[in-house]
Amino acid sequence: MSYIVPIGPYHPALEEPVHAKLYTEGEVIKDAEVFVGYNHRGIEKLATERNAIQTLVLVERVCGICSHSHALTYAMAVEAINGIEVPKRGEYIRVITAELERLHSHFLWLGIACHIIGHDSMFMHIWDERELVMDLLEKMTGNRVNYAMVTIGGSRRDISDDLRREILDACVKLKGPLDRIVEIALTDKTIAMRTKGVGVLTKEDALRLGAVGPHARASGVNIDVRRDAPYCSYGDFEFDIPVVDSGDVFARVVVRALECYESIKILQQALENLPATPINLGNKLVKIKEGQVVARHEAPRGQLSHMVVGNNSLTNYRVSIHVPSYKNTPTVPHMLRGNTVADAGLIIASIDPCFSCLDR
Amino acid sequence: MQEYKRIDISKDQIVPIAERMRKENRYLVMIHAFINTEGQMDISWDYAVNPAVESYHVVGETTVPSIGEIYDVAAIWPERELNELFNIQFEGLDTSKRLFLPEDMLETQGRGQIMVTPLSELVEKNRKEAEQ
Repeated sequence: MSYIVPIGPYHPALEEPVHAKLYTEGEVIKDAEVFVGYNHRGIEKLATERNAIQTLVLVERVCGICSHSHALTYAMAVEAINGIEVPKRGEYIRVITAELERLHSHFLWLGIACHIIGHDSMFMHIWDERELVMDLLEKMTGNRVNYAMVTIGGSRRDISDDLRREILDACVKLKGPLDRIVEIALTDKTIAMRTKGVGVLTKEDALRLGAVGPHARASGVNIDVRRDAPYCSYGDFEFDIPVVDSGDVFARVVVRALECYESIKILQQALENLPATPINLGNKLVKIKEGQVVARHEAPRGQLSHMVVGNNSLTNYRVSIHVPSYKNTPTVPHMLRGNTVADAGLIIASIDPCFSCLDR
Repeated sequence: MQEYKRIDISKDQIVPIAERMRKENRYLVMIHAFINTEGQMDISWDYAVNPAVESYHVVGETTVPSIGEIYDVAAIWPERELNELFNIQFEGLDTSKRLFLPEDMLETQGRGQIMVTPLSELVEKNRKEAEQ
């Protein structure tokens, strides 16, 4: 018996609106379609009516999870057009914020994944640990989301020596719970049964379909903008890029869990070697020179790109934002085929989709 | 600072470049478009040739070939977006369904989870309320 099962756009299992149609034969998904646009706020158009400082505030609101990533990538694009070189300390503070953001994003996703498969004790345990990261972000920036740490030419707030030591201590403190989370994720029978062999995306398909970030790395594609096109002093730090070949939901759990260790590694190096330079160039409002640039950043979900066109005025001529979920969401129908309706929610969630990012 | 290379091409070169990039396993970062200060459409295909981004531009064209057969959904989604937002025609692209806010969401009205009141009904309702 054939059915069309609609999911969303508003559904209890979805944090954000998206509409998926599953074409099933009994329990098995034969094909699927995804429709987006329910969260469109016209951010790109709004950016053309704002100056660079106003746009930083605007693009931070593209997403509540990776808000720093958007501000950072936009700032990098404007700095590239204007030939602005950011002081080292400003770059390191950007990296510290970005890696704390990655940690809280990965903890958030790991928790949600456990919640979807019904492992609620693990979900609460992971989110409890996430609070430590959120507290650090709040102490450092004054906010739990929309950190407003980036300005054109550097960072807006410095990190005091006390706070530096506190974050370093927290990095050590986080490792214990993280070890436990990884051990449970790798050995728990419930997690294995719900995730192994589910929603597989092969390496060849990941390359062909253009998957990015942890989603691609879980399919054996060794990509990471931090290493492939270094920016913000990422070249100063030693870190590994976890890559797993199996391409299933379990691999996505493993990759994100292991990436948390790498973020801690980067945080420790950045905090221990925080340069003694100014943090910015004085926060002056800049005219965006004539030119066009694409800046890329490895956001928690993958490669984020901002294209900025300037025409020697205070406002942007054009801003085009393309987010990792834009690359990863089209792979979902491919992953759903051959799986059961019961796993659809988990497979959709396994790419860590962000529809407010995607719709802009 | 990341490197960005702008390369202007003609529309005949779009497909051969895409084929070469795909063969070299280069990521299609994005397909962008905007109307430049001279009022011409500027479409760009950005590829990650690490550590740089190579950006191939076609200026002044509103009909260009699709590279959907080469880059699959990585190209099809941005092409559909640009078709819906800028009315750029991508030869070979299936535009029978909308990507953003599909019109057929009305099909399950009152039966499924999607409850959308058609705009015409809302206008009529507001008009009646205003009259009262």
